[in-house]
Amino acid sequence: MSDRTLRAAAAVVALAGVGVAGYLTYVHYQPEALICTGGGGCETVQDSSYAELAGIPVALLGLVALLTLLGLLAWDSELARTLAAALALVALGFAAYLVILQAFVIDAWCVWCLVNDVLIVPLLALLTVWRARTHTSG
Amino acid sequence: MPPKPRKPPPRGGSGNRNLLIAAAAAAVVVIGLVAASLLLRGDDSEETSPTTTGQATTLLDGIPQERAILGSPDATVTLIQFEDLQCPVCKRFQEEAFPGIVEEYVQPGRVKLRFVGMAFLGPDSEKALLHVIAAGEQGKLWHLADALYANQGDENSGWVTDELLERLAGELGLDYEKLSTDADGPGALQQANSMAAEAQQREIPGTPWFYVQVGDAEPYEVRPGSFDIEEFRTILDDALSS
Repeated sequence: MSDRTLRAAAAVVALAGVGVAGYLTYVHYQPEALICTGGGGCETVQDSSYAELAGIPVALLGLVALLTLLGLLAWDSELARTLAAALALVALGFAAYLVILQAFVIDAWCVWCLVNDVLIVPLLALLTVWRARTHTSG
Repeated sequence: MPPKPRKPPPRGGSGNRNLLIAAAAAAVVVIGLVAASLLLRGDDSEETSPTTTGQATTLLDGIPQERAILGSPDATVTLIQFEDLQCPVCKRFQEEAFPGIVEEYVQPGRVKLRFVGMAFLGPDSEKALLHVIAAGEQGKLWHLADALYANQGDENSGWVTDELLERLAGELGLDYEKLSTDADGPGALQQANSMAAEAQQREIPGTPWFYVQVGDAEPYEVRPGSFDIEEFRTILDDALSS
């Protein structure tokens, strides 16, 4: 996979994440946009106290992180690659924590949140390879 | 002349060190975020006053109730509310918009409300709905619905217990024996099925969902942009002026 393809793939995954995180941020501030539907626990998760961190919606934090990743992909320097991989690692760690919360504390699954959590796995893989290439290509 | 060999890419050194520093920093940030999430999480609405009846309960006293209808029979405008008693968004509507609607439109006899219960979220929804319908036989459907929202638990956690229903019935002045018998009877089930059929016929995608009916005209769908009372003022004033 060429360097350009790698960046493009990471950008596509990050953009998908931006879409989902953007929607979750929107419904956080406009909760009426969210309705209860059969089999969905999004409203329960979004309504839980864990949906905010110091008054800031967790979805908004995710959105900012993904936009920052896109900025780092555009920047494309060794520092940017290192920061992008580190940011994706942070995102993966926090996403794992959020999944644990849904499974064992909130006891409800938010499908949209899970989509974002899962997207971080390929994103981290792509960004790690991208960062490693910097090093091996001199 | 042999080609000049390319300089091999650097291995180890500052690049790897930077990567290790970044990974360590990422781990520290994750730990910090998790700690912050646990310490600085938002308000947990479910932890507030789980043993009281709803905030709108006193507002409902003195307003005519005929089964699922709340308000004066002479009111020409009806706000039809499709709800699931387990739905947290319905609970939010109940807490934010409902008291204002009752105070400004139902108490003065300008608008009446019609409850259409749905039970698609699970067994607790069904049990709650049947008991709320049964409370309608004692003229307190809206009281029990409000009290159940105030005590809403986690989805399908078994929170609609007999103990909860008995306690709420006592606080609301309902005959619990009759409530329990009526909830298990064919009448409540028939009404619940009728409500489900109406929701299906109108293709209600989720709850809460609203329709407005003016007189005997065909009800029309309304979509408030928020649970701010101003949104409902616009909807109901339009209906009243038509």
